[in-house]
Amino acid sequence: MTRFSKLRFLPLLVVLTTACQTGYHLTDQGYKRVVIDSLTAPADSGMARFLQPYKQQMDQTMNEVLVQSAVPLNRSKPECALNNMLTDAMLQYAQQKLGQPADCSHLNYGGIRTGLPQGPIRIGSIYEVMPFDNQLVMLTLKGSMLREFFEFFVGSEIDEKSLVVGGVRVVIKNNILTDIAFTNGKKFDPNQNYTVLMSDYVADRGGGTAFLKDAVARKNFTVPIRDVFIDYFRQLGKPGQPLNPTTDGRITIQ
Amino acid sequence: MDALQSNRRQFLKLFGTAAVVGGFAPETLAKPKLTQLTILHTNDVHSRLEPFPMDGGRNAGRGGIVRRATLINQIRSEQANVLLFDAGDLFQGTPYFNLYKGEPEVQAMNQMRYDASTIGNHDFDGGMDNMVTQFGKAKFPFLIANYDFKNTAMDGRTEPYRVFKKDGLKIGVFGLGIKPEGLIPKELFRETRYLDPIETGNDMAAKLRNDLNCDYVICLSHLGYQYNDKAVSDRVFASKSRNIDLIIGGHTHTFLEAPVNVLSQDGLPVLINQVGFAGIYLGRIDLTFERGKAKPVMESKAVEVKS
Repeated sequence: MTRFSKLRFLPLLVVLTTACQTGYHLTDQGYKRVVIDSLTAPADSGMARFLQPYKQQMDQTMNEVLVQSAVPLNRSKPECALNNMLTDAMLQYAQQKLGQPADCSHLNYGGIRTGLPQGPIRIGSIYEVMPFDNQLVMLTLKGSMLREFFEFFVGSEIDEKSLVVGGVRVVIKNNILTDIAFTNGKKFDPNQNYTVLMSDYVADRGGGTAFLKDAVARKNFTVPIRDVFIDYFRQLGKPGQPLNPTTDGRITIQ
Repeated sequence: MDALQSNRRQFLKLFGTAAVVGGFAPETLAKPKLTQLTILHTNDVHSRLEPFPMDGGRNAGRGGIVRRATLINQIRSEQANVLLFDAGDLFQGTPYFNLYKGEPEVQAMNQMRYDASTIGNHDFDGGMDNMVTQFGKAKFPFLIANYDFKNTAMDGRTEPYRVFKKDGLKIGVFGLGIKPEGLIPKELFRETRYLDPIETGNDMAAKLRNDLNCDYVICLSHLGYQYNDKAVSDRVFASKSRNIDLIIGGHTHTFLEAPVNVLSQDGLPVLINQVGFAGIYLGRIDLTFERGKAKPVMESKAVEVKS
């Protein structure tokens, strides 16, 4: 038994101001924090029966195989096939499903929670990569701000940052972007406007990108980025061939 | 824990205390009518219907409704007067929510016979129409005093407070939600008007204590335990409160080992508790009440909490 309060002995007086109290007063109180695990309590069979059909259908959904991969798709810096595929997925979805072609896309490296396994990639695997319900957002940024945005995410060996982008090839030297080339053929100009897809978390300055408040325009798509990924890998699985992706050199560090 | 044994210990302690002050109040010692009340609570369960997977993580195997149900049933079989509350954020966090939009969370709480819940910011995640649908399945009320849902689909679907009667005891319970701006996307909370939690909370507590003659006043809060900035937290609210005995908190996923006392505006202790998140823990507060007015001279409202 631990006491965390000796308040019983403080001379705190209660003056009951209303005469119509029902007339109960507290004389003693105890507390216990009960951990819920297999040691403290067995399963309740009624509740297990209740959960079973929900669980069965959920497991079925989570177990749907989207595509097979010949190799594990690990998350790594400064560039990896997984990062590239995920940002490409955003561009593809915006164009195909939303009719909103964007110039480039971005993901927060720290928001990609894990890699994808070799073998079957399931819906459940995508949930592990992206457990958050972050939504797809398109910002229009002036070229100079786009460069600032990208440079904000250029990481180092020691932190959880790394630039993850689609639709562009960039050259980084001493944390400065010395070249930005759009794969849609547009030329980079600091005074021109460009559209960039990202998560609402980053667009809402969740990553510390306070300067994004001066974005030229913003479009919210009420679609979770996870659903964007699921759609992308499902399409990749259609031909029935296992994935064996390589990087395309979109990030060059000098 | 052997709950019966624990109660016996508490009774012994109680009588020990009575013996100390006995010389001053022999007539109350003669036959005090004692009423026991057990308050059970969870917060931020976040759709964690199953235990955490056995992946070697810190919380592996913990939580889940099938074991929580067993515990609650056990306690109900031992205690005559039980109240079971949740402090919000029932939703979001596992694929169950993405798939079923909150239905099994609410149905499971029905089965465990929750008495009331407040609303957390993530309970908006499926949109307000979904809140109407899913909360509509609840057999318990959603208590929230500082969200004005007029002009939204949720209008009339919540109550600011409710009074529970247990063995003659009147327990007043109200709910407080967190400020939606900057936390909940506007398209989700829409026209919901946020009312000042301190002012609204004190109005509620005064009403429950003075107009509705409640013996014990509880706030179910999703304000969060404590912040570094000026945001209203449970601690801030407690210090500016009157007439509140207990705040059952949430939002900040704070694992308090035991409830914390904060002195109210009147210098009286307000108990604050929060049990982390995901249904890893069930909070249990056992209260003993004595019939009759507290002796103004002898009686202190501050009662030690044992754990």
